[in-house]
Amino acid sequence: MLESEARDARRTARHLERLMDAADGRATDVPVGIDLDPSVRLAARQLRAGLLRVHPSFRFEENLAGRLATVAARLQDGAALDLEVDLPATPAPIVTLWPDHSDLVPSASAPVAMEPEDGQPTRAAASALLRQTIFGRLLKKPSLASRPSRPLIVGGVGVASAAISLGAIYFAWRLSHPSPGPMVRAVRAAHANRDHGRRSNVLGEILGVVS
Amino acid sequence: MGNPVLRHLEEGARLARLDRDRGLVEAARRDPAQFDALYRKYLTQVYSFAYYELRDPHAAEDATERVFMQALVGLPRFEERLDAFTLPEGELAPDISTFRVWLFRIARNVIANERRRSSRRPVAPLEAAGELTAPDDVLESALAHEAGSAAWQAVARLPEDRRRVVVLRFVEEMSTAEISAILGRSEGAVRVLLHRALRSVEADLRRRMS
Repeated sequence: MLESEARDARRTARHLERLMDAADGRATDVPVGIDLDPSVRLAARQLRAGLLRVHPSFRFEENLAGRLATVAARLQDGAALDLEVDLPATPAPIVTLWPDHSDLVPSASAPVAMEPEDGQPTRAAASALLRQTIFGRLLKKPSLASRPSRPLIVGGVGVASAAISLGAIYFAWRLSHPSPGPMVRAVRAAHANRDHGRRSNVLGEILGVVS
Repeated sequence: MGNPVLRHLEEGARLARLDRDRGLVEAARRDPAQFDALYRKYLTQVYSFAYYELRDPHAAEDATERVFMQALVGLPRFEERLDAFTLPEGELAPDISTFRVWLFRIARNVIANERRRSSRRPVAPLEAAGELTAPDDVLESALAHEAGSAAWQAVARLPEDRRRVVVLRFVEEMSTAEISAILGRSEGAVRVLLHRALRSVEADLRRRMS
């Protein structure tokens, strides 16, 4: 490293310090001395101007928070077991759901290897725990087949189901019996009036009324 | 010794004041459920670091998840530390290990693995940077943003060590000392990397404009 480059690098660092300090004032540039490399100043200004603040989605944040909470609960439980994670038995539902990926289901008896290197857990250990947690949560859920059968109509659910059925029947009937159009209704009305006139004449003759 | 951290070390600065996250870390150690506070505090920082490094929101989410999972599992092993070590070239480097530094060390490793894993996939530029709407609809701001977007695309073309330094400095607004602790380099080396990176960005922009 050349001494002159180290000196320039220190100037750059000082300029960036001032630039960051000025960030609260929404300034993208700050006054500089003539000793600062102009290309450095230009690049720093443009990087500040084009800085994009990115945020994870709310859904991702909450989902991950939930998964971390699950892992945290398991760690709390496993603390007395030297960080061994006890998995629920009976992996049958998982095998039923994903017959081609049964190898992904960790062995229930195998403890998670947590041997951090340099104070950090290995990636394998974390992903194994994650898999155990996700699959473990699924394992805890009873499969559809193992759930006890329940009567379909129960209280309000039954009423709602009946109402929906009646609605569907009425809808089907309306489809098969379309309402008459305005012309049809007019012809029917005229026909009814003519019948009504005939009946009046018959009654008049009987009663001796001459129209 | 110009390093303020090391100067404090010489003056006998107390470790108790070093890590602002000490309380949260201790709470999370006692009850892992309390890790949530640390997670909420650093989620955006870790995610944006991953996003700028990987340039893909889905890959950034995967990496972020791995980082926090590893941090949660490995938290009992975390040691707060303020020390210094001598580099092979004889220069002293601060060995700071705050929770943030430790977390970003994990992030650096996770992201490096992810980049190696996906090295065969084509790398998309930071399109999102160009999709930002200009604040206040001012033409000048729009032009500045366009230039800034081009600058970040130039960053994406930098060698890994330079790119990482730029992201940590500009996006995460980390100090040189923190960056040197995360990358395991001396502060002088970090400064030079940053200086060279900025010059490379400007040269890249000039070359593309011409």
